[in-house]
This record gives sequence, structure tokens and C-alpha cells, in this order.
Amino acid sequence: MTVAGQNPSFVLKKVHEVSFEERPIPKLSGPRDVRIEIKQTGICGSDVHYYTHGAIGSFIVKSPMVLGHESAGVVAEAGSAVTSLKVGDRVALEPGIPCRYCDHCKAGFYNLCADMKFAATPPYDGTLCRYYVLPEDFCVKLPDTVSLEEGALIEPLSVAVHVSKLAKITPGSSAIVFGAGPVGLLCCAVAKAFGATTITAVDLVQARLDLAKEVAATHTFIPTRGDSAAESAAKIKELLGGKAPQFAIDASGAAASVNTAIHVLAQGGIYVQAGMGASEITFPITEFTIKELHAHGSFRYGPGDYQLAVELVASGRVDVKKLITHRVKFEDAEEAFKLVVKGQGVKILIGGPIV
Amino acid sequence: MTLTGENPSFVLHKVHEVSFEERPIPKLSGPRDVRIEIKQTGICGSDVHYYTHGAIGSFVVTSPMVLGHESSGVVAEVGSAVTSLKVGDRVALEPGIPCRYCDHCKAGFYNLCADMKFAATPPYDGTLCRYYILPEDFCVKLPDTVSLEEGALIEPLSVAVHVSKLAKITPGSSVVVFGAGPVGLLCCAVAKAFGATTITAVDLVPARLELAKAVAATHSFIPTRGDSAAESASKIKEVLGGKAPQFAIDASGAAASVNTAIHVLAQGGTYVQAGMGAPEITFPITEFTIKELVAHGSFRYGPGDYQLAVELVASGRVDVKKLITHRVKFEEAEEAFKLVVKGQGVKILIGGPTA
Repeated sequence: MTVAGQNPSFVLKKVHEVSFEERPIPKLSGPRDVRIEIKQTGICGSDVHYYTHGAIGSFIVKSPMVLGHESAGVVAEAGSAVTSLKVGDRVALEPGIPCRYCDHCKAGFYNLCADMKFAATPPYDGTLCRYYVLPEDFCVKLPDTVSLEEGALIEPLSVAVHVSKLAKITPGSSAIVFGAGPVGLLCCAVAKAFGATTITAVDLVQARLDLAKEVAATHTFIPTRGDSAAESAAKIKELLGGKAPQFAIDASGAAASVNTAIHVLAQGGIYVQAGMGASEITFPITEFTIKELHAHGSFRYGPGDYQLAVELVASGRVDVKKLITHRVKFEDAEEAFKLVVKGQGVKILIGGPIV
Repeated sequence: MTLTGENPSFVLHKVHEVSFEERPIPKLSGPRDVRIEIKQTGICGSDVHYYTHGAIGSFVVTSPMVLGHESSGVVAEVGSAVTSLKVGDRVALEPGIPCRYCDHCKAGFYNLCADMKFAATPPYDGTLCRYYILPEDFCVKLPDTVSLEEGALIEPLSVAVHVSKLAKITPGSSVVVFGAGPVGLLCCAVAKAFGATTITAVDLVPARLELAKAVAATHSFIPTRGDSAAESASKIKEVLGGKAPQFAIDASGAAASVNTAIHVLAQGGTYVQAGMGAPEITFPITEFTIKELVAHGSFRYGPGDYQLAVELVASGRVDVKKLITHRVKFEEAEEAFKLVVKGQGVKILIGGPTA
């Protein structure tokens, strides 16, 4: 799979059926494009969900699709109008190309573009291949001090940045994050970088909470199965010396977490929904109303998020290396997926075909 | 019941049991207080709910309580430090006294004060009596062109103002309001005053929608029983020529309305929950998340809302008179409650003991 001049790609055919294929080397679509040689790709819950279910909501895999979207690589070719990058530059890839013409794109919300071409969301191929083409403005150059491995974490870190900017986390505040998977851990880290001084991580798995504390959490909590949301919330407040947090982020998608978050928030507090789980859940709407809470749905990332993520890593404010638990070779890509399906590891990196 | 020197009051003893009592004439509690002689009181769902259920959530009527909180009157006495009002001034009453010392009060959110003394919320007496005491800054003077009847509508209008300010309704926008009771109708009116140019009222009762159109609505919609929220939402979009609204307000508390609102909103849209119904409902959280909606809980009213409400009426931007359907004398107060219980009328005014 390391034959020069080819573009070996890791393809999902249908549920649990993957294979390596040679795909044509993609061409630049215009003078502002760059072609990147992929060096590292992390995988996330959505990649694995397509592997195990073949669909997420209305996005259904109908024809073979290259997986992966959390990548870093080296510029291999630059279009004639490219000014910010040159061949050999190491970059983090922001793998979604919006249309740039619609109202959302022009108003600063390109993540909501109806014609978004997002890597590894059907029908668009992903980045688990050798070469990928993006416009130059959707690549962020990595400073020399930031490795390609760290570059592959920029995508999930940008999700956490987007969440934290929506929340408008303020210095000295108390934030609670439900779910200590990669996104939850990075939300803890970004909350700290934004100045929060009390950061509570909530999860059912002690090992994840231990990592959360290493990363940024000042407090951790494991809910007791069978406790109501109000009961869990009361226990969390006790843990926090009676002080309800001003910010709550759900990075789990679990109904119990969403409910506990609404119950634990201080009056006037802010809630951000990042995680995705069941599409309809029971929700404590009266509690939400009488406490005058504010809730934001968060979807992917938008203008400035990737740049800020790279800055947080480059400046040492966020250490993403702590999340990398496994590294596999490109040829062993399916192993990485199986590890995630088994619930193992935190962030697993798959090397590019030519590392 | 019109004996001078007395304070006849309309008291709830327990569910469905009301009576008139003579209560002592209340005294000023400090030099910044005024004593108001109540002239008009509207009644709302919450008053009636105490009448029929004896409680709302954790607020339980455990001893006899004077009902009513939507009042206007004439200043009868002023404290020694009162500067903005004099005896004889006609005022709208903002019937909740916050503590002024806590964090919420100082940060501009006195509606969230934990020690709020709110009229006709147990254990505090309401305004269906002859005299009521308030600090001068919780009374808004009515211009000569605004009647005492309109003054009694300032309270629900302030609820609508608070909702619309939370939503940040913008000029030229499209708003959907679910529920065409008094608050919903006033939300339509305020949305229009704030510049919205497409206002869709949703209700099950055609007569209410007729009034909504007379007040401010440009479109109306009756959901079909049995349609899912997504189905109702697409029918509403059809009514609106395919354009999803940017703002949605629920003034019904009904789960179906909340769900339809989330489905009908444009991406990045804003939702405000004003109505109160079942404390827990099914909620379409994934739809909320992928559209990056923003939701706000709205509770009563806060700084500047009453003043703005009076300004909207005084300037002719909002005509509240259209909502007044019945007028009863103080002695017939219970009839007013029974009318609301039967679902009749929109806003029923009860005259003061000395009308």
C-alpha cells in the first residue's frame, strides 16, 4: 500500500465491511486549492458509527466511502493562487468545504451551510487515504513546535473550541462537562484555557475521570445509577461546596446527562449541547424556564475555531498529547475501529500510507 | 365592600373556596414606598391555577391568600423619600419586590431573586384588594393617554416584552408564536413593535387566531391533531412560502408546540420558552443541536420591561384594549375566575373595590 504515485484509501463498503482500494490521486479543483499528503488521522465516534451502523440520521452510506476526517499532513502541491502555504508545510486539515455563497456562509456560520461537503459524511470521501485536496483557507499551518500527531487532534479540539465560544465561558467561572471521551476531555481543557477555575468532569468510568483530572478537571463525579437527574444534580452541588456551576456542556448525548445538566446549572446559566445520542429525550422544560437558562446547540466548528485550536496547542495552553492512547499503521486501520467499538482507548491515531 | 378606611380583599382559602375579607390597610414599610388604591385587575392562568389546584409546582397555598397581580391604580399615599410619584398619580404595578442585595439583583436579573416577594405567589398576598404597597420604583406612572384598564394589561405585556428582548427579535424577521392566549397575543404584538414583519400565530382555536390577526399576526396556523411535530413544522413552512422563521416563542406550555417550534426554526434560530405546562416533555435534542439553535427560558420580567411596556402602549405601537373581553365588578370577582376556568374570554378585568 505504499506504492508511489497511487492513492491508497481505506473504504467502507457497508456495515463492518471495509477494504483498501487504490483511488485516483485527486486533482486540485481550482487555483486556491492545495493537495495534502496525509500523515496522521484520528478516529472518532462518528467514523465508528458509520462502520457499525452505515448511517447517522439522514446521512446514509449508499456507495463505498473513504472514512476519516481528523487529519494532519504535509502540503504536496499548491495551486497557482495559493499564498499562505507552500509545498512541505505541515498542516491540520479542516475537512469541510462550504459553498461560500449562501446566507449562512456569508453571515459567519459556514458550519450550517446546506451544501457543505464534509469528509466522510456521505457521499463525500474522507481523509484515510494518501492525498486529500482542500482550499488553502481550510488548512491551518502547524508551527514547528506542534507535531503531526498533535495536528490530528486539532479537529476534535476545534469542536471543543466551538462549544466553549458558544458558551462564552468566562474567567473564574465554574463549568461542568458531561462525558469524558475525547470531546469532553478537550472541553475541560478549553474551559480551563478560557479561564474557568472550577471544572467538573462527569462520567461513569473512573479511568476516564482520572484522565480528565490530568487534563484539566478540578473535580470529578460518577453518577449513581438509579438516581434521578435532580438527585445527581444535588450531589454535584454538594461536591462543589453548594455552588451551582454557571456553564454546563454535554459531550455524551445521554439523556440522563442532559437532564442533570439542566438541574445543576445556576439560574441564568448556559448550557451547550455538543454530544449526540437519542434524537428525542425527556427534557425538564419547566426547570429550564424558571431558571432562565440559555441553551445552545453546537455543530462542528466555524470561523476562527481551527486557528484558535492550533494557537492553544502551540502556546502550551492545551496539551492534546495526553489523549493519544494508541497508534496503528495505515494497513491496520480496521484494528483502530475495532478498538473503539470495544470501548478501548481515548484517541487512536492511524498513520498515513506514507508516514 | 366599598367602606372607606377598610381594605376589602378577595381571598383564596383553598381550592375553589374564595371569600371577601376585610384586611388591615397596609402601611408603608419604608420612606420609598407608595400605597396604591387598586382600580383594575386582570386575571391570568396562574391566578386561576391556584383557584383550581391550590398550588403551582412547589408554591403551595397553605394559608388564605389574596389573589391577583395584574393591576393598575391610583397613588393614595407616598413615603417621605418618594420623588417620582405623588398622590393621585395613576400607575401600573410591578408586583414583585426583590431583595436588591443578592448577586442576581445586582447583576440585572432581579426576576431570579431567591427572596422575591411576588403578589399572589404563596405566601404573599396579591392585589385583588383595595390598597397595595410597593416601592416607588416598582410602579410605572401612566401617561394621561393611557387608561387604568390598559394599565392592568401592562403586567402581561411586560411578560411579552421580556420574552421578545430575550429573543432579540430583529427588524424584518419572521416569528412564530405558539399559543394565542393573552401572552401569545401580546408576544405577537411586541414582535411586530420590535420590527418583525412576518408573524405567525399558532393555536387550536380559530377564534383566538382571528384575534391574533387583528392584533398583529400576518399568518395563522391550526395544527392537525395526529400530525407529528415535523409534519406540523413543514406545513407551517409551506404557509410561509418555504421560509423557516428565525424566532419561535412558546406561550402555550404544550409539548407539541415546543417540539414543532424546534422543527420549524431556521438554522441558527432562537427559541424562547414562556409558557409553562408539564415539567418534563419529550424534546427533539438532535434537531436542536444540528441546527445550532439557541433557546432561552423566560420567567416574568426584569429591569426596563415595565417601562418599555408602558411606552409601547403610550406610543400606540401596541393596542392592548383588543384583549379585554369582559369586565366585572369587584364583588363579582369569582365570576371572572369561573369564566377563565370555562375557557371563555381573553382578558377579564375585575374592578377595584372603589372603582
